[in-house]
Amino acid sequence: MNRLYGWRLNPLYHSGALVVLTFVLLTVTGLYLVFFYRLGSPHASIVRITEQVWLGRWIRSLHRYASDAAVVAAAIHAFRMFAQDRSWGPRALAWVSGLLLLGLTLVLGWTGYVMVWDVQGIVLAREGARWLDALPLFSEPISRAFVGEREVPSAFFFLNLFLHVALPVGLGALLWLHVSRVARPGLLPPRGLLWGTTGILLVLSILWPAPAGTPADLFRLPARGPYDAFYAFWLPVTQGLPAAATWVGGGILGAVAVLAPWWSRPRVGQRPGPSVVDERLCSGCEQCYLDCPYEAIAMVERTDGRAGIVARVDPALCVSCGICAGSCAPMGVGPPGRTGRDQLAQIRDVVAARAPAPDDVVVVACTHGAGGVGAESTFDGAPVLAVDCAGSLHTSVVEYLVRSGAGGVLIVACPPRDCQHREGPKWLEQRLYHEREAELKDRVDRRRVRLIYADLAEEGTVAAALERSRGEVAALERARRETDIALEAECDLVEQGTPGRQGPERSHGLEEGRR
Amino acid sequence: MSWPRGWIGGGALAVGVTLALGWLSQVPYDAARDVEAVVRLAWRTRATQVEECRRLTGAELERLPIHMRQEQVCEGRTLPYRLVVVLDGHTVVDQAVYPSGARADRPLYVYHELQVRPGWHDVDIAFTRDPVPADTASQQERERLGERESAAPQRLTLARRVMLGPDQIVLVTYDAEERQLVLKGSGAP
Repeated sequence: MNRLYGWRLNPLYHSGALVVLTFVLLTVTGLYLVFFYRLGSPHASIVRITEQVWLGRWIRSLHRYASDAAVVAAAIHAFRMFAQDRSWGPRALAWVSGLLLLGLTLVLGWTGYVMVWDVQGIVLAREGARWLDALPLFSEPISRAFVGEREVPSAFFFLNLFLHVALPVGLGALLWLHVSRVARPGLLPPRGLLWGTTGILLVLSILWPAPAGTPADLFRLPARGPYDAFYAFWLPVTQGLPAAATWVGGGILGAVAVLAPWWSRPRVGQRPGPSVVDERLCSGCEQCYLDCPYEAIAMVERTDGRAGIVARVDPALCVSCGICAGSCAPMGVGPPGRTGRDQLAQIRDVVAARAPAPDDVVVVACTHGAGGVGAESTFDGAPVLAVDCAGSLHTSVVEYLVRSGAGGVLIVACPPRDCQHREGPKWLEQRLYHEREAELKDRVDRRRVRLIYADLAEEGTVAAALERSRGEVAALERARRETDIALEAECDLVEQGTPGRQGPERSHGLEEGRR
Repeated sequence: MSWPRGWIGGGALAVGVTLALGWLSQVPYDAARDVEAVVRLAWRTRATQVEECRRLTGAELERLPIHMRQEQVCEGRTLPYRLVVVLDGHTVVDQAVYPSGARADRPLYVYHELQVRPGWHDVDIAFTRDPVPADTASQQERERLGERESAAPQRLTLARRVMLGPDQIVLVTYDAEERQLVLKGSGAP
């Protein structure tokens, strides 16, 4: 997909945002359709809408195809979140609410197809009534409405329309809950993908209008007709099952879907621990608070006698992404063993064991993507330093490598919208090139530092970038090797009482970052 | 991937996915599958209620609080029906039909779909209520006579020869005004 569309427009990376886009399309087209829908003659009104060649036909088709695309995008989104291990712990709320969103979308589609009251509509209505009649909830069997004793009452169509219009409100509330634990949720895809997706659905609607099946007839068996596989995929299975078995089977499937992340998550003891703050080092600069993708960090008043504020991590919200470790100039925050200081200690040991040669390009690779390079100790002859997330990489490590005499440093991050921890590559790029705190210092030769994006399947991309980096390094002057690089010492100034940058300028930064 | 291969590949994939979306949105399906025609039995009728009353003995009354001492107590129940359906000489349904509801005090519902082949069929239906026990004809029950009159008769029958074409459904239902079983639908004579 990246080869065809590039990571910026890869629809798989924007599957969640595409669902929201389809919801927007459904709302806009639905508002038009509801004006022409008649409760007294549902199928006839749908046919009349379909006969409006200039508007009604394609608006109804767009409504239908957008609803189909919503299911596809939601299913892909759920699969990606599960496959990327992003569905348990503090993300459980998003997982469960996401499944509820998908379920509610299917129910909404159901009511929508019953509104059409064609062959598919009556089959769905009768199947739903059969299921509901198996529950001890209703004083009279709902199925009676469809046996032909009398006309199907308008009240049924009114209730159906009401649900179809009212349930999206619940959908909105669930969506809010779904993204409530993430900072800066990307609700809409980038402009190119937004208009591309809308355009292609529109073209499909115009060239291949959605059909309205033959009208429902209570005294004829449902004829062979067009069914929407995205909303009626279960029909061939459930039609042959007793209603109780359908409830039990559906309940088991639902429970498995909800609980799957809990079964597949790492065992206790193997799960990464939440970030911790070394309050002696924290200068209260708020950068970790701004960068945290999960709003797990709050700034609170200090209690150690010093003036100002200090970062505090909520372990219930922290997913241990380590992005705060990369954002902290004094290197005072991060998951245990992965703070900036821990990273520096690790790289110091690596360099002490084998100092990089002037023509070496050291690969720093994210373990979740980066063509799988992060799992190796060397790649194509280049030493590899693995990091759990590129966003957790402290720029001091890059500086240390360059000043230790490495010819170049190739940092391989996941594509920004494919990041396991949402915003790692974005913040890393800004720290390397746009002076976002904790920025790569000016004294580091940027010509020796390259950042590329590659997902797990793009080993070739990494190999090509490494080759290019080697060529660039060879064209530069020979790298100088420094000794006694004491980067922590600069940070220790903070510990001794030098405050971090605060005041109005940082307040502005807070607003910018939260946006 | 560079122009034009990237654009062609990306465009082809987008068109392919879009066409798949369009096709899956309208997959031909036959929900009736192997069913060719149906005789549907569906009706609702009020069940006949009876109350069995008895006078409490002096000792029983003594055990009750003063404000609860009624000399006569009644227990109500509804009478079940038996439904027997003979189709082309074969008994296809023979079952008791009980009133619905947790306390069995709601109306009776009958719902069956009998799959048949198109053509002529002899349908013979008997819907028979248990008789009202003679010893329950208390004052209260006589007062409820009017209500019982609105319930279905003690025996409903229908014996017809019906013609069903392919995919047709004929409905046998209860007409509360005529107080009899009737046929409805395209296959009804």
